[in-house]
Amino acid sequence: MIKPEAPSGRPEAVFVLLLLQCLFWLIAGLSAAPFVLGGEIHMAGLVLATLLLALGTCLLAIGVLWRRRRARSLAIALEVVCLFGTAVLLLIPLGFNKGPVSMLVNAALPLTIIVLLRKDGEAFS
Amino acid sequence: MFDIAPDHAVGLYAGLLALPLALLAIRFRPTPRVPGTVLGASVLMAMSGAIHIGLVWTHLDETITAALFVINGLAYLTLSQLYSWRWWRPASAALITMTLFGYLGYIVLGFDAADQVALATKILELTALGLVLVPVAGERPWRRRRWGILVVAVPLLTVVTISVAWIDALARPDTQHVHVGAVLQQTNDVATPEQEAAAKQLYDQTVVAIAPYGDWHKAWDAGFRPGGSQSLPSTHWMNQRNVDAGYVMDPTHPQGLVYANSKHGPVLLGAMFQMKNINNFGPDPGGPLTAWHQHENICFTPFGFEFSLMTPTATCPFGAIDITASPMLHVWIVDNPGGRFAIDIDDKVVKRIDQT
Repeated sequence: MIKPEAPSGRPEAVFVLLLLQCLFWLIAGLSAAPFVLGGEIHMAGLVLATLLLALGTCLLAIGVLWRRRRARSLAIALEVVCLFGTAVLLLIPLGFNKGPVSMLVNAALPLTIIVLLRKDGEAFS
Repeated sequence: MFDIAPDHAVGLYAGLLALPLALLAIRFRPTPRVPGTVLGASVLMAMSGAIHIGLVWTHLDETITAALFVINGLAYLTLSQLYSWRWWRPASAALITMTLFGYLGYIVLGFDAADQVALATKILELTALGLVLVPVAGERPWRRRRWGILVVAVPLLTVVTISVAWIDALARPDTQHVHVGAVLQQTNDVATPEQEAAAKQLYDQTVVAIAPYGDWHKAWDAGFRPGGSQSLPSTHWMNQRNVDAGYVMDPTHPQGLVYANSKHGPVLLGAMFQMKNINNFGPDPGGPLTAWHQHENICFTPFGFEFSLMTPTATCPFGAIDITASPMLHVWIVDNPGGRFAIDIDDKVVKRIDQT
């Protein structure tokens, strides 16, 4: 049943988006692991860092859900870094993928999280 | 996987067109206030519905597929507007889940291949599923059950959907994507006698020109440097002077050399010509025999100059960036089962060299 005076649900929406982002990084980390077995030893560090990033994002998602102010700030910071990285890669001619999926995941998703968190600051303690 | 199928492009336009319309519908519809998550799911479902309806016109010759698109699209559009209905959440969750499984079935059975429109739609649907299920603060009905389904179903469906799409793309590449991450230059199907002769001439000239580099010290003196990990079976040695000069398929100035990392030291396997700019394929004297290839959507890390593959969700490992390497053509001077100009050297060849 949906109440007439329902809350915004922004932290919950951000939780869902951060959960998806965490899964995308988890898959990226795991998919690079076979290259370590193939002899790319430095890739091991990247795999570990990516899995830790995925874990951190998952914890941030939970923190946002629990309305933790620090989680909100960290999530905004993370998404700003992601957006900045995407903007840089779009500008430099290295052949960065500009397809709809890339734009959804690397631009729209971080931007949506920032917008949702920016507007609901008073809900966090 | 990273292209937009021509018959799917219209779906993308339909989805983008649906976005402002869905937002306007929410803005001006006099309904009881509902949580933002529900409105978000409504918009995403309207977009998914529009994409499915848009795809009908380009699939009219596939009756069953077109009918499924109509049913799926109408169901999405209807549910996107019925968000105050008592059974909206279970109905929406069931529709999204069935759509995802239906799509995976189509992929596995080979009726369709994952492209950017399909993957983008799946991401919209997975997000919509999460928003449908997530309980907002103060909502009581089915709260615990919804959380349970959300934390299991969304991760599971995301991983399965992406994995299936990726495995299918790697296992059944199209004619232009003959190798993981490599796009092949378009040529005629069968080499003409003239093209065979031209390919042989290029091969002979290259073998003679790079023969001195059998001694890797001479390659080093000429400016070639290893461009990656030496722990791999083989390493490309690049010559930045030749790269910057922009020589085009000049056997005396190859942009790179490929060495096997044998226990006796580097053993020359062949040369690599590389064009200066992305999407600018070089001259192709041997037709299909000397087709250039371009590595697209690879994740490059400056740590050790190593590579991995970008995921279907356009994500690279932390510390790596998505790049496209400009077109290249290899000339293998050792007996390579894949051919003298194959994209890759056969691993068995490298192992044999290492053992002898």
